Amino acid sequence: MRSTLLMGNEAFAWAALEAGVNVVAGYPGTPSSELVETVAKLHAAGVAHDVYVEWSDNEKAALELLVGASASGARGLFTCKQMGLNVAADALLSANYVGVRGGLVLFVADDPGPISSQTEQDTRRFANFAKVPVLDPWNPESGADMMRHAFEVSETWHTPVIVRPTTRVNHASTFFDVPSETHARPVPEGGFEKDPKWVIFPRRSYAAHGEINDRLHEIASEEAAGSFNPLYAYAGEECAPADAGAAPLGIVCGGVSGAYAREAIEMLIARGAQLPAFDFLQVGTPFPFPVRRARAFAAGKTDVLVFEELDHVIEDDLLMLAGRDKLSYRVHGKLDGSTLARGENSVEDCARRIARFLGVTDALPEEPAPDPAAPQAPARPPVLCAGCPHRGAFYAVKRALRGKKNVLCGDIGCYTLGNAKPLEAVDTCLCMGAGITMAQGVAVAEPGTKAVAFIGDSTFFASGMTGVANAVYNQHDITIVVLDNSTTAMTGGQPHPGIGRTLMGPVSDPIRIEAVLEGLGVTCIEHANPLYLKESLAAARRAVDFEGPSALIFRSPCTQIVRPEPRAVVDDDACVGCRVCVEAIGCPAMTMSADGSKMIVDAATCYGCGLCVDVCPHGAISAAVRTEGRVPFAGKAGE
Amino acid sequence: MLNVLIAGIGGQGSVLAAKILAAAAQARGWKVRTAETIGMAQRGGNVTSHVRMGDAGEEVHAPLIARGTADCIVALEPGEAVRALPYLAPDGLLVCARTAIPSVETTLSGEPYEAEPLLAYLEGAAPHFLAVDEAAICEEVGSRKVANLVMLASAVAASNGTSFGLRGAIGTDELVRAMEACVKPAFVALNRAAIDTAIARVGAPSVN
Repeated sequence: MRSTLLMGNEAFAWAALEAGVNVVAGYPGTPSSELVETVAKLHAAGVAHDVYVEWSDNEKAALELLVGASASGARGLFTCKQMGLNVAADALLSANYVGVRGGLVLFVADDPGPISSQTEQDTRRFANFAKVPVLDPWNPESGADMMRHAFEVSETWHTPVIVRPTTRVNHASTFFDVPSETHARPVPEGGFEKDPKWVIFPRRSYAAHGEINDRLHEIASEEAAGSFNPLYAYAGEECAPADAGAAPLGIVCGGVSGAYAREAIEMLIARGAQLPAFDFLQVGTPFPFPVRRARAFAAGKTDVLVFEELDHVIEDDLLMLAGRDKLSYRVHGKLDGSTLARGENSVEDCARRIARFLGVTDALPEEPAPDPAAPQAPARPPVLCAGCPHRGAFYAVKRALRGKKNVLCGDIGCYTLGNAKPLEAVDTCLCMGAGITMAQGVAVAEPGTKAVAFIGDSTFFASGMTGVANAVYNQHDITIVVLDNSTTAMTGGQPHPGIGRTLMGPVSDPIRIEAVLEGLGVTCIEHANPLYLKESLAAARRAVDFEGPSALIFRSPCTQIVRPEPRAVVDDDACVGCRVCVEAIGCPAMTMSADGSKMIVDAATCYGCGLCVDVCPHGAISAAVRTEGRVPFAGKAGE
Repeated sequence: MLNVLIAGIGGQGSVLAAKILAAAAQARGWKVRTAETIGMAQRGGNVTSHVRMGDAGEEVHAPLIARGTADCIVALEPGEAVRALPYLAPDGLLVCARTAIPSVETTLSGEPYEAEPLLAYLEGAAPHFLAVDEAAICEEVGSRKVANLVMLASAVAASNGTSFGLRGAIGTDELVRAMEACVKPAFVALNRAAIDTAIARVGAPSVN
């Protein structure tokens, strides 16, 4: 064992490997991606033995693969972010009815805020809907314990189990003792055993529903007695573990809010607050709700304050408990406005609300008044990187559409950032793969409006292909622009079916996007390197002028996977400070001199892609790739 | 509790700086938690790393620093120092890089984006303040990529023998050892040079 600083997601990976997981599969998405990457890294390093790990084509593919592995007796771990479970929902709900053999754990990372997501959906709610147990860690340590425990619960009760951390657990780091190596548990002799139970039929489902109800009841009872729902009694400055509540006041927390609240309580004590006695319950197994534990906590309560992020899940269960047991406590939380109804909680916010709840507002630090002399911090939203190929693609398509009424349907990935000024090339963004199909809806509703869909290479494989088939089948007049940067860029550069490389090392033949489009019946397929404006503009015009479904593939690698070219150079004698380049493509490497008379290329940021050379109307910018007649980044793979 | 907030722009290396501080704290036997901005904001957006160290042997619950409780802010850019300032504790230390880095938005606005007015404000607003000419140190060392270590070392130097900032709790030797444990062997010498040059420049700290 050695002590190592692990990010939450790395700790989850270690815990699953220590639990002997055989198969790990998922689809990348912040804040979940590092788990699969850690398993792959440890496997490649010869530390994690006998484990199979893959980035699947999408979440549904990953979960179905794991259900198969589980039926053969293997322990399986699925990973995704919260919306990924929507994609895999069909498989999950049915798998719960069929039941599992080898432990099947779903690691689903929620994103309160949201910080990097489209929705603030709550996987605890999803677990309830799917009738699958869910564990909710409050820090990486509890999460690692829950991960090991989840495999046991899954195999004991033949149920999938969800472990659902949130961003601040996934991306928080602390020190862990890790073993020198891990070994997957051998898959049982004989593997898959033929049995009618693996075939879902209505009659079987009716019986299974009863088994699900029974096991949820049993699991709730067991978890209530376990260590994942700790109860503490606070008295004065002391905090001690307790078996039952005694005070009339209580605080209940879910997830990382428990860490915030405990910190807030300690802060109030440190500031001299004389706290009344109260009880503190952390609910780590929100579904099935640990009723017995909650009942022990609730005895004699008059008021309960609940901190949880996303939905009012614990709050609902406490209200139900009060109704069922005819208890007279009041529940203060999201529903009555006592806590934040959305977004993240924080130590500061918990401190204010706890101080009010416990009647010690005097101990709160004074809120500093805003300083009217304070300068504004610069607006610094995320942007497409210098040298990003998407910049030229968006610019060319918008130029090609000048004078045509158009709607630009975006999708999920780095290229969503094309919505920012000055490109403003993303009019819609919904969910993975929706751009292609939303464009078809626009085309149907508004004939004469040119609907263009932008989709990245990884998203294309994950969920774009059915949309292409629909466009061809129903002959929708849209243009599909595939932004192929040869990686899954936004989530940190994961491989995908169009790359060929897999996490297990061997190289499969990459699936060619052209071949897919051809196979699906797209007849107009244009190509361009987006770093060359003239060829991009010509290809974009041909694609958008085509009647019926057309495609345009822009291909140039993500700057994160290649080394930079020599940077662009501005000829100060030729630059007139017209700002055309800055206002056309908004590259972060381009700034203006203090007096505004010249454009300046930042040496450290510029990637030398050469796009600005084409945009400058005065020929004032040069780049080595253009002078030397080379294709930027060709044969410059990094790593 | 010792709270250090590292504020910068995606790609400046705040995550590595946080790791190094965590390693130094661990070597002292303290409980430590860190938290990062990961995801979309890393594409040139503003990012922060939180490092929380139980320097009195206490438990650390939350991964994030509460506003008004950062003992030290290490700002890798002046505008980001302004954004992070509400986190600074009443007796806190702000160590700030002097080079302003424009954003696409500031460039598009047509208004100049300059460090001087920001630094002038910060000097008056922070209880303890040190501006570091990190660009000059990086040039001397020969790489702009080590600005994170330059700033971290400056914070260590500025806190040496004081009761604020890092409170002298992490010394130069500890910083060097932690760095060696966290960076690839090929980059140890470069980062060592960054630390040494920064310490020599800040020297006897002229922190107000």
